Amino acid sequence: MTNKQINFKFLNFKYLFVVFAYLVICLFGYLREANAQQVNLSITPPLLELVIKPGKSIMVAYRVENFGDPVILTAKLVNFEPKDNLGNIRLKDDFTGPVRFSLDNADLQLDQPFFLKTGDSQQLLLRIRLPEGAPAGDYYYTLLAETTPPNTTEGIGSARSRASIGSNILITVTDSGVVEVKPKIVLFSTIGGLAFVRDLRIYDSFDKIPLVFMVENKGKNMIKPEGQISLKGNFGEETKYDIIPKNILSQSQRLIEATPSSQLVTSHQQPVTLILSGFFIGLYRLSTQVTFGENSPTVFASTSFFAFPFKLIAGLVTVIVITILIIKKFSKNSDEDS
Amino acid sequence: MQKLKSKCKSFFNTFNFLLVFLTFTFLLLTSKPLLAVSMESSRFRIESANTSSAAGNKSSDNYKLSDTIGQLAAGEFSSTGYVVKAGFQYLHSIIPFRFSISDINIALGTLTPNTSSTATTVLSVYFGGAGQYQVTAIEEGALKTLSGNSVPDTSCDGGAETCSESQAKTWSSSTAYGFGYNMSGNDVPADFISGTQYRPFPDRTAAESPVVIMSSSDVGKNRQSTMTFKANISPIQPAGSYQTIINFVATPSF
Repeated sequence: MTNKQINFKFLNFKYLFVVFAYLVICLFGYLREANAQQVNLSITPPLLELVIKPGKSIMVAYRVENFGDPVILTAKLVNFEPKDNLGNIRLKDDFTGPVRFSLDNADLQLDQPFFLKTGDSQQLLLRIRLPEGAPAGDYYYTLLAETTPPNTTEGIGSARSRASIGSNILITVTDSGVVEVKPKIVLFSTIGGLAFVRDLRIYDSFDKIPLVFMVENKGKNMIKPEGQISLKGNFGEETKYDIIPKNILSQSQRLIEATPSSQLVTSHQQPVTLILSGFFIGLYRLSTQVTFGENSPTVFASTSFFAFPFKLIAGLVTVIVITILIIKKFSKNSDEDS
Repeated sequence: MQKLKSKCKSFFNTFNFLLVFLTFTFLLLTSKPLLAVSMESSRFRIESANTSSAAGNKSSDNYKLSDTIGQLAAGEFSSTGYVVKAGFQYLHSIIPFRFSISDINIALGTLTPNTSSTATTVLSVYFGGAGQYQVTAIEEGALKTLSGNSVPDTSCDGGAETCSESQAKTWSSSTAYGFGYNMSGNDVPADFISGTQYRPFPDRTAAESPVVIMSSSDVGKNRQSTMTFKANISPIQPAGSYQTIINFVATPSF
């Protein structure tokens, strides 16, 4: 072997070594730290409202998207009922009601698992069918996309998670298209302050005044309130607050919320409809007029409150009394000195 | 001179080959998947660049349809026999309902008597619909081995500090045994006032109902809370792999 050949082989080996080293560096540079198994799902639409005749069926397209690790999902339907008057729900384990659900997808069925890759989405073509003679009324369901828990790890204590994301389906079955609207105002009152006279509370002018407005749906179909809450002062000034139209399910109550200041948690530790803030003085009247769609009854309610700057007056009186006492003391001292 | 020229040519050929090869491998290893155009700011997000191409109101003698391209089933649809309202156009929402759990396999490690084992996972919710969202949790049975030995649900430190499924209390004693959780972050129940406040999970096998661990009526992106799991076993607890499944359900309001 000549020196030239040896040099050439050495050169080749050097290049190969450089390429190998570079690839190793690239590999380690590209590798990221191992992540925990993550579930990250979205579902659209989050709410479906359907008014349907018995004997009809419709198809609604849902989309479930996977932003996390690859996952095995199962689509299922369960009933739900309102849990409280704030819009929370309680899912039921059993499935009841006349509504029939199925998937129109060729390769998918309800209650059967399917695989979803990272960044992938699956369209679920949900067929909702009402058989002939289905009883009129409201039926409430949640479409759930449920993950399969990971495998167990031997030798350690572990809590494996199953994650589900849901979308609510509100179905009103009616043969004639007429729905029953039976609203009742349960509560329309300010809270806190001092109540000397019935239905008249007294507040300091600088206090925030919370209003609670609760409506009960005594009918067998859900209703949606529309209207305003009006605040009128004793000098003729008036402010109006829009009611946020949220569904009140059949045979349930719901706290109405109004813009812009509705808050479910306040310093009073009680959910409220509206928080009135500003400087109030004198007698104020709060009233509301609510409708529930076309040709529905209008319901009214009103309440009053009185505001006065008690704290400011008390502070001023205290300052004045202290000032008078100080002046008196100084004038007495100067009298004694003279 | 000729020899030097030839050597230089050979060197530059090899150098060019290496340059092309290294660039190609670098691109191959560091390239990311192609993404669709994302138009987003802190105040808005357009899901699809061609949103306006066909969105709007359509009608014929038999139906009226108002839709938004890019949002499935969006809009208000009315036809003979049914009226359907669905999707974000109807709800005027730009944030889709989204739920994530950062780690679904919560490893508590080897459980040692009188020594607490803890592990955390982060729950996140994107929520833009009208109404309220909630995340509930329930365990599908106690933390137990295949042979049936179980770690009881915690009652925290006991006495005045006895916790329940709906009321968190202090759990700091090393001789208070059981399995429970703490919550911190956005939209968590108000009784979790510090990192030492714990609750036991409701147990589906004991016919208990799921408990709300996150809820809010505020429209929000990336509402995050951290759930800390804690287990502490007594010296007489048999050794083994203790397992359970925690069922998390995220639902919007109605």
